[in-house]
Amino acid sequence: MPNSDRYAYAVGRIRAMETRLLDRGKIDRMVEARSADEALKVLGESEYGEYLADLGSVHQFEKMLDAELRRIYVELRKISPEPELINLFAIKFDYHNLKVLIKANKLAEKRDELLVPEVGNIPLAELIRAVSDDDYRNLPAHMRQAAEKLSELLRLEPDPQLVGLLLDRAMYEELKDAVDAQKSPFLKGYFTSLVDLLNIKTYLRVRRANRPKDFLQQALLPQGNVDMNKLVQLVEPLEVLVDRLMFSPYAQVVEEGIQTYQKTDTLTRYEKLADDHLIKYAKQAKYVTFGPEPIIGYLLAKESEIKMIRIIMVGKINQLPTEEIKERLRDVYV
Amino acid sequence: MIETMSGLSLAIVGAAFAVLLAGIGSAIGIGIVGQTAAGVVTEDPDKFGPTLLLQALPGTQGIYGLLIGFLILQRTGMIGGNPMDITMAEGWLYFFSAMPIAFVGLMSAIAQGKAAASGVLLIAKRPEELGKAIIYAVMVETYAVLALLMSIMILFGI
Repeated sequence: MPNSDRYAYAVGRIRAMETRLLDRGKIDRMVEARSADEALKVLGESEYGEYLADLGSVHQFEKMLDAELRRIYVELRKISPEPELINLFAIKFDYHNLKVLIKANKLAEKRDELLVPEVGNIPLAELIRAVSDDDYRNLPAHMRQAAEKLSELLRLEPDPQLVGLLLDRAMYEELKDAVDAQKSPFLKGYFTSLVDLLNIKTYLRVRRANRPKDFLQQALLPQGNVDMNKLVQLVEPLEVLVDRLMFSPYAQVVEEGIQTYQKTDTLTRYEKLADDHLIKYAKQAKYVTFGPEPIIGYLLAKESEIKMIRIIMVGKINQLPTEEIKERLRDVYV
Repeated sequence: MIETMSGLSLAIVGAAFAVLLAGIGSAIGIGIVGQTAAGVVTEDPDKFGPTLLLQALPGTQGIYGLLIGFLILQRTGMIGGNPMDITMAEGWLYFFSAMPIAFVGLMSAIAQGKAAASGVLLIAKRPEELGKAIIYAVMVETYAVLALLMSIMILFGI
């Protein structure tokens, strides 16, 4: 019996759940709404409808998105024949929480509202205890090593950049191990693209900040396919980078993203194109009957949907022009 | 063991194989569709009717197997209580008459189960396309029917 038949029930549920994802039409209606209130009302006929009654004002829309994110992770952990698959995607929330907590504890940057409770694999209370006692023994290996090193470095030099740098590195190491354990070429391909696109962005940012080569080497993640260190020097013009990536899968993203970057000096367009590239990759999952792919695809679609609602709501609350919000919107999965 | 076996035992082995393999195939096929359908119905209980229709499709192979098994028993006189005295050579003929439906039944029921399960996924998204989903799954049936035909032709040719 092929192994993938284990996914029969899960895929059945996922396909039915996919019909409730927001489609282009609803997203467009939200963008074109006249006010934030009206935009939120569009969600009334969707999965978000149940939260709307509890929202005091539109400014609390984050509460709704948090609740939905939590619901999706709880649900998918139950549905998936392999909860590890979902845990893999939840790793980022553990690292995110740890970053927020370490910054609060060591650098006195208190931003408790950024914490994401009950989604990650490690209970928030455990992370709080670890950071306040400076005792990371119960945490996963990569996280523990990074946190211990970080705690030492921060004592010498309280540099907030170190937090992101060290913990991101550890996170992608942990992710790589988790991805390899899943033995899914689809997941592996997604992860590689994710790292590559992130590395290109890091390169652009480091270049813009005029940082030295060593800093770039430290910031680039080694888990991708494209080795930015070898590909292009910091001093070379950006056209060289576009040229060298001409025949990679990222050619379009890099070409258009960098063109806009040179004109506008922001990475917003690049980020949008990179996300679209990843969603396009995830869409392959629609043609898989049984296997982990549809679950991964749905999870990514849902995360992207939540991100889009956030972009729209922030835009509407700040009264950005409709066109400007539209430019930032990502492609939809459905 | 072979020396003490009569032609009749071989014929019965054939009949048993037809029911066994085709039945296993149908059970697996229906099982796959059932799992997928349960997933869809968890989210959308109104889909019970159409999914049940699709689930039933891989069941036919088991019935074909039973039919051939039954015909073998009937033609060898096992049903009715007058077992015929058959030679080894004839026994082999009965045995092989069961093979097409046994093996094709096994494999086609599983394949049909997968096609029908995909059909369930199709109607999860587009309930109006039930007809097309059924057609895709029924295409597999052709080969089970061809195997049944060959089994019957051999059986009646003996």
